Amino acid sequence: MKNKLSDIYGKDGTKKVLASLISILVGLFVGTIIVVIVGLTKDTITPTGIWDGVRLIFAGIFSTGRDAAGNLSWGYNPQSVGNMLFRATPLIMTGLSVAVAYKTGLFNIGAPGQYLMGTMASLMIALGIPSEVVPAGIIWILAFLGGCLAGALWGCIPGLLKALLNINEVLACIMTNWLAANLVTWAFDVSNFKNMVENTKAGYIYKTTFNGVETPKLGLDKIFPGSQVNGGILIAIVIAIAMYILINKTTLGYQLKACGSNRHAARYAGINDKRNIVLSMAIAGTLSGGGAALYWLAGNTEFYWSTYQSLPAIGFNGIPVALLAVCNPIGVIFTGSFMAMLDIVGQQLTGYTAYNEYITDVIIAVIVYLSAFSLVIRMALTGKPKAKTEKIEKKPAAEKKPDTQPEGGEEA
Amino acid sequence: MDSEYIIEMLNIRKEFPGIVANDDITLQLRRGEIHALLGENGAGKSTLMSVLFGLYQPEAGEIRKNGQTVRIHNPNDATALHIGMVHQHFKLVDVFTVLDNIILGAEDTKLGFLQKKVARKKVQELSEKYKLQVDLDAKVEDITVGMQQRTEILKMLYRDNEILIFDEPTAVLTPQEIDELMEIMRGFAKEGKSILFITHKLNEIMAVADRCTVLRKGKCVGTVNIADTNQQELSNMMVGRPVQLQVEKMPAKPGDVILDVQNLTVHAKNSKKNAVHDVSFQVRGGEIVCIAGIDGNGQSELVYGLTGLEKTAGGHVTLCGKDISKASVHKRSEAGMSHIPEDRHKHGLVLDDTLENNIVLQSFQEPRFQKLGFIKKDAVRQYAQKIIDQYDVRSGQGPVTVARSMSGGNQQKAIIGREVDRGLPLLIAVQPTRGLDVGAIEYIHKQLVAQRDEGKAVLLVSLELDEVMNLSDRILVMYEGEIVGEFDPKTTTVQELGLYMAGAKRDGKGGAQA
Amino acid sequence: MTFLIQQTLLYAVPLMIVALAGVFAERSGIINLALEGIMIFGAFIGVLFVHSMQNLEVFTTAAREGDWLTLQGLELLAMVVAAIMGAVFSLLLSFASINLRADQTIGGTALNLMAPALVLFLIRVLVNQNTLQMQTGDAASWFMIKKSTFGVKKSVDWGFFGETFLNKIYIATYICIIIFIVLAIILYKTRFGLRLRSCGENPQAADSLGINVYKMRYIGTTISGALAGMGGFVYSLTTANCTANGDVAGFGFLALAVMIFGNWKPLNIAGASLLFGLFKCIAAAYSSIDINGDGVYWLAQIGISSHLYRMLPYLVTLVVLAFTSKKSRAPKAEGIPYDKGSR
Repeated sequence: MKNKLSDIYGKDGTKKVLASLISILVGLFVGTIIVVIVGLTKDTITPTGIWDGVRLIFAGIFSTGRDAAGNLSWGYNPQSVGNMLFRATPLIMTGLSVAVAYKTGLFNIGAPGQYLMGTMASLMIALGIPSEVVPAGIIWILAFLGGCLAGALWGCIPGLLKALLNINEVLACIMTNWLAANLVTWAFDVSNFKNMVENTKAGYIYKTTFNGVETPKLGLDKIFPGSQVNGGILIAIVIAIAMYILINKTTLGYQLKACGSNRHAARYAGINDKRNIVLSMAIAGTLSGGGAALYWLAGNTEFYWSTYQSLPAIGFNGIPVALLAVCNPIGVIFTGSFMAMLDIVGQQLTGYTAYNEYITDVIIAVIVYLSAFSLVIRMALTGKPKAKTEKIEKKPAAEKKPDTQPEGGEEA
Repeated sequence: MDSEYIIEMLNIRKEFPGIVANDDITLQLRRGEIHALLGENGAGKSTLMSVLFGLYQPEAGEIRKNGQTVRIHNPNDATALHIGMVHQHFKLVDVFTVLDNIILGAEDTKLGFLQKKVARKKVQELSEKYKLQVDLDAKVEDITVGMQQRTEILKMLYRDNEILIFDEPTAVLTPQEIDELMEIMRGFAKEGKSILFITHKLNEIMAVADRCTVLRKGKCVGTVNIADTNQQELSNMMVGRPVQLQVEKMPAKPGDVILDVQNLTVHAKNSKKNAVHDVSFQVRGGEIVCIAGIDGNGQSELVYGLTGLEKTAGGHVTLCGKDISKASVHKRSEAGMSHIPEDRHKHGLVLDDTLENNIVLQSFQEPRFQKLGFIKKDAVRQYAQKIIDQYDVRSGQGPVTVARSMSGGNQQKAIIGREVDRGLPLLIAVQPTRGLDVGAIEYIHKQLVAQRDEGKAVLLVSLELDEVMNLSDRILVMYEGEIVGEFDPKTTTVQELGLYMAGAKRDGKGGAQA
Repeated sequence: MTFLIQQTLLYAVPLMIVALAGVFAERSGIINLALEGIMIFGAFIGVLFVHSMQNLEVFTTAAREGDWLTLQGLELLAMVVAAIMGAVFSLLLSFASINLRADQTIGGTALNLMAPALVLFLIRVLVNQNTLQMQTGDAASWFMIKKSTFGVKKSVDWGFFGETFLNKIYIATYICIIIFIVLAIILYKTRFGLRLRSCGENPQAADSLGINVYKMRYIGTTISGALAGMGGFVYSLTTANCTANGDVAGFGFLALAVMIFGNWKPLNIAGASLLFGLFKCIAAAYSSIDINGDGVYWLAQIGISSHLYRMLPYLVTLVVLAFTSKKSRAPKAEGIPYDKGSR
């Protein structure tokens, strides 16, 4: 029995999970500390207020609001859980997007742009094809595929720039993000999808239900009454499983991984690294674009179209989702749900305390920060520092070299 | 007061996780002597010197200078004790000038601003005194390896060092340059400077050293006077058994032309000159053709051009009658080319992947390893096991061992197994024995000769002249991107090759028979 | 023309100083992707400092009585505070990448996520809004140097040079230019600069010569953080009317692009930032740019969509990167954690 336990502990996978859990805990604690410090320095926040904030950070998902006496009440809240699953849907997709690119050694910080392009394509298709002519189900499929395709095309741009011109993909992604933000604003600005009917919704695009298009609920609304959940979450989970198989069981996955961990060796072995870089970014873009489609086709949220000054957080949050899951597609399902839960927590904080939802963004940032050296954490768990140290410092070396040097350049 | 020894390293022990790099090693350096430190790759020479230079802290043992115990925590302490070192891989900043490199870390300043005039004068004097000619304003990346080495030596002299460590200084030099270096070293010794000379080449020790300490597998075998010993004895001390210095092989029976290279040109990355310029040669089945030359004369680029890793700028490459000048790496491989790469960590292996995945690096798309795009894990494992058994690849967990955790020799064996087992007509092997111990070197040499005897064409690129002379059936010397001469190893000498390698002599274009 | 030059300078100078921030980090071997985040943080700190100092009597009196020297003092103090806090914030990056040998791309990204989150959280808690502004007055009335500052009438013509470089300007702009020049000289002419650059190119060599690579990298990244923090505040002061809202719209990344375009060399960077400043200025103020002074707002009138102008800086960045990336030469060791053990 003892052996078995230590076996499980000794496994690399277990350590990865433990390292991620530690990251999460530290992130939550940092959030707590900020809440406490701010609470102590602001006269308007009472000790009870601080205590409420802390409790909501850790267990906001179980909050059921405030009771008659004004105290926080707790319990299973199907609405929160359902909403969490709804919000997890696009996060899982952008998380997969970042994870797949990362396996090929690319840091896809372009998920927000790909997500925006997916938003534009899917909304335009969903609203543009009259549902009197084409059945809503077909429109839904077309809109979903359109979103995927738009994301894929947008992902290809930094991929091509990287493969052909050796431009750092991080910079290219950032620029394409802002280009997408402007492009989407422009396109909707000249479109006739702007909500002209409801006064309160000026500045927004119609919901897709305006054209009768929405994701089927598949009975999930019965399980989580009152929530926004729909079949999209199941689609996201299926896609995550498909990605797991793609990466771990197929020759394509083998090639992508080989390019990621040693681009030079891949080239040496006759693997077309340039093609794989573009392909990897295209897949990443597809996933982000598809995530956007799943979110907006739910038909219960309006899109604020004048977005040229801001990028969607769902895109950036794909990064912590992927990193926390150590880029394992199955893990992404769980970390995506966790991030969505933080989102709900943020809402609860804004609704019930003097704090606001940005504290959860701080927590997320801390988690990303910790995952930057999750290898060190895993190493500490192993307790064998030196042997693994090498792994850490060698790996980035192999990855970074192509950026800083012309490929195939001589070194040493 | 004056001790007989200027530096003593007593009972030094240095461990790394899993291995003891230095186990109770004692080394005593006399004033004004040239003391050789001999050992195979991995015997612990570099570790010991790093301890002396303050880069590592020993777990046990002590260091004395002039009989006084000293502690060396970092290179600054070593410099303060006037210990200087020319590292095997030069510690130079490529984009700095020679002068900047020499003064770096020992700069003269006024209010923090560099005062290069004084430094320049001092370096010029040193350079004249010891005949170490350098161009102080050239960037290091633009100068020859020989001049880089002189820069390193000037770095030590600029710091007034009296104990000079040379770590494998001859590996990058031509035989003539080696002679010059020996002369310089003798000059230093005559002036009372003490020299530690790290090498695994016996003839150099016999030529220049006064005494020699031999290391084997992290342990000290002994210290001998060079006057009282000979090469064979040193060799036995180093390896622990008699070494077969000569590779036994039958005369070559060259067959059809397998590889035909015509007027191949490859552009250089960072300069306007061609890295490979108008190179033509052939390799036949059943022969080993060796490309010899000093590192950086276009050998790597030639191989990149041949294997498709880099685009060629002109010329034709024909493999088994098929023009592959513009073909992809994959297509060339299909046409019959296997390749043992120069840098096994950069090109040869995906270090963080398993051994089995590395063994099918090129062949995973063949039907035997995949079906409809899904990898057949079992087939891969069986094949990997076969290679492991056949080529004696030792690893912790067999096929699922992570490549990084294996020793250099076994990594190289895995690559050689992978390439040889594909059974292709052409094998390009680039420095296949670099950094390996004698056992592994012997094994690899035998494999290469066996390939030749099976009728395969072998193109060997090597920097080690001993290897070149031993293995090849024909030698092509490359200098500044061109082939400047062709030789028969039976009728040429190392000295003659050296003249060609240094560019002092050259035959007509395309390399006529010598 | 005067307007165009002034506006271009307003964008070019923060860009230049933040690009130099990138140089100091990368030349020491650390990729500072967090420039954007540090700018956001620095802008917030600077504005917050101004916001809270405005209550002090010395400053309220100064503002009332037009004692411009005191107000310039406040501006300089805010710059210093922003720089200090930017440096402190950047320690998070140094610690992760130097001591823990973390992936610098992810570390930088974390800071980029952290800064806006923290800043927005604090702004919301402090003033219950999404933007932090000055308590009274605005950047122009408190800090801008103009004719009235010296009691000169608006109608007096100072000539082209005077109108362009002395009227309606911020002292911060010139301070940044001076700092830029001084640091560029330090980078190339001093012992510290030589050693710093060696750590970004070949840390093993530097170490073997007794240079403390970790220390140099800490210093490089800290200078980088200070410059970026200061640049962030200068940006918000001169182009956003001294407000902070947790966003600099990718300005930090533009600075990175300027740095690459300028090949990590200060002089080229100065030129590159002028070019980028021009495009950023067109994007922000195309409708009020009167190029030849004939009262015709040509850019706004040729019928190109405003959206296109806004996309211009990003588009230009991509094009410029595409043309320069093959030739660009990054410090060799950047992004690679240094480990004393492995030589």
